Amino acid sequence: MKHSMSATTLRRLIVICLIALWEMLPRAGLIPELFLPSLSSTIAAGWNDAGEYGHALAVTLYEIAISMVFACGGGILAGAVVGSLPRPRVLIMPMISSIYAVPLVILYPVFTVWLGIGSESKIAFAAIYGFLPTMLSTAAGIQTIDPQLVLAARSMGATLSQRLTRVIIPAAIPTVLSGLRVGGALVIVGVVVSEMLISSAGIGYLISRYRTILDSAHVFAGVLLVLAMAIAFNAAIKWIERKASIWQTGSRAGQRAADDITAGAIQPAT
Amino acid sequence: MQPLANVTPLKPAARAGSIAVRNVGQIFRTSTQDVEALSDVSLEVKPGRFVVLVGPSGCGKSTLLMMMAGLRQQTSCTVLINDAPIPQPDPDRVGVVFQEPSLFPWLTAEENVEFPLALRGVAKSERRGKAEDALKLVGLEGFGKRHPHELSGGMKQRVSIARGMVQDPPVLLMDEPFAALDEQTRMTMGDELLRIWAATGKTVVFVTHSLTEAVYLADEVVVMSARPGRIVDHLTISLPRPRTYEMLSGETFGTLRDRIWRHIKKSA
Repeated sequence: MKHSMSATTLRRLIVICLIALWEMLPRAGLIPELFLPSLSSTIAAGWNDAGEYGHALAVTLYEIAISMVFACGGGILAGAVVGSLPRPRVLIMPMISSIYAVPLVILYPVFTVWLGIGSESKIAFAAIYGFLPTMLSTAAGIQTIDPQLVLAARSMGATLSQRLTRVIIPAAIPTVLSGLRVGGALVIVGVVVSEMLISSAGIGYLISRYRTILDSAHVFAGVLLVLAMAIAFNAAIKWIERKASIWQTGSRAGQRAADDITAGAIQPAT
Repeated sequence: MQPLANVTPLKPAARAGSIAVRNVGQIFRTSTQDVEALSDVSLEVKPGRFVVLVGPSGCGKSTLLMMMAGLRQQTSCTVLINDAPIPQPDPDRVGVVFQEPSLFPWLTAEENVEFPLALRGVAKSERRGKAEDALKLVGLEGFGKRHPHELSGGMKQRVSIARGMVQDPPVLLMDEPFAALDEQTRMTMGDELLRIWAATGKTVVFVTHSLTEAVYLADEVVVMSARPGRIVDHLTISLPRPRTYEMLSGETFGTLRDRIWRHIKKSA
């Protein structure tokens, strides 16, 4: 326990040091402001154009939200089907896995030809980008469900639909969530990157535009916003993981029970 | 062993719980050949008896148990529980306990025990009451709110037994339920099981690899031979109850165990 506490403290210290360095190094002139503007001037730049950044953030969040629904919803659904039926699994999985290795961003220009440079092309691109890992990990999650649990449910008279809703889906939750974590992060990447490439709105667009006029403070203000989104997303996923699957924390709680027993707090019934 | 007086039995089981296996055969078809797993097995179990199936690995004893549970279609002929066929699992007649506790890790112990009741839409309060009774019966009173990962191996298997008995079926089928436990826990669990059995009067069919466990627990030991599985001996264990640790080193115990061992050595 003490050990993990000090690790957390250490992590926080490192983050604080990095933030302090970000402020001090450019101010001291050790790094040119063009390469890295100080934290305060970055925030000031963002604050002065809060309206512009606010609008861009709204566009980006909208695109992320829609792509997230497609990527995660579709990914879980497709993964469940592919994972639970042997034939599609054999047919599709190797294909999906090899597609996954291709850098999909090369397809983005094609999307803009089909869908224009508005939000639609970003949504389509980011949705597909996040869809694949979500689907792959859901399929893997369904496959790794202990068949013994399903057999036990059958012995208790569970119908097919009861086995699905009461055993297979809850058992798959941890793997699905880890898929969502990867898929969701890729959705954010997909939206921002596609905005940076070809677009007329959004945070990625702002970063890209300010870069062309060498306004580093405004570029980094955009980067800061993307960073904040990624951190917020991660925190949200962690929260869901805690809510949805207490039982994932098996090792930790198991340790607690073991401690209780050795301390004589519980008389183990065996 | 706890005294029986402390035990509140579940509602006294109706005196049903007969098992009849008549000329059962089972053939597994593989791509290259047909394997005869069970050949012409017939067995009668009277209500309330504790019957143990032993035999070398692959003799089809688990297959036979799964047939009694309605979890496997018979290739030929009949298994009757309470004089009626069992084409699919029927938790009102048969409870099953597996080698792995097979508890749902996302549910608490009492939710696990309630699970079969929840499947059939029994009201929450009634469910909770029955689960508490069942957990009390297996000696886990007060552990209902724990998740499986907070329980030891033996405690998990107790929860699994409670789940198998929560609907108070007259027959309890156990497929090597203690095989994954350490020796010490295994002995304790054996005594616990005998206590529960005595308190509820259920018919128990118990599969094991351990000859000591077989003789220690059983009223009757059914010995099966390797492929194709058939019954080669059916012994009545006349040791008095309650069984005690001292009996393990007694002459009767040794004679019985030797007799079973000779059968198994011959067919293995």
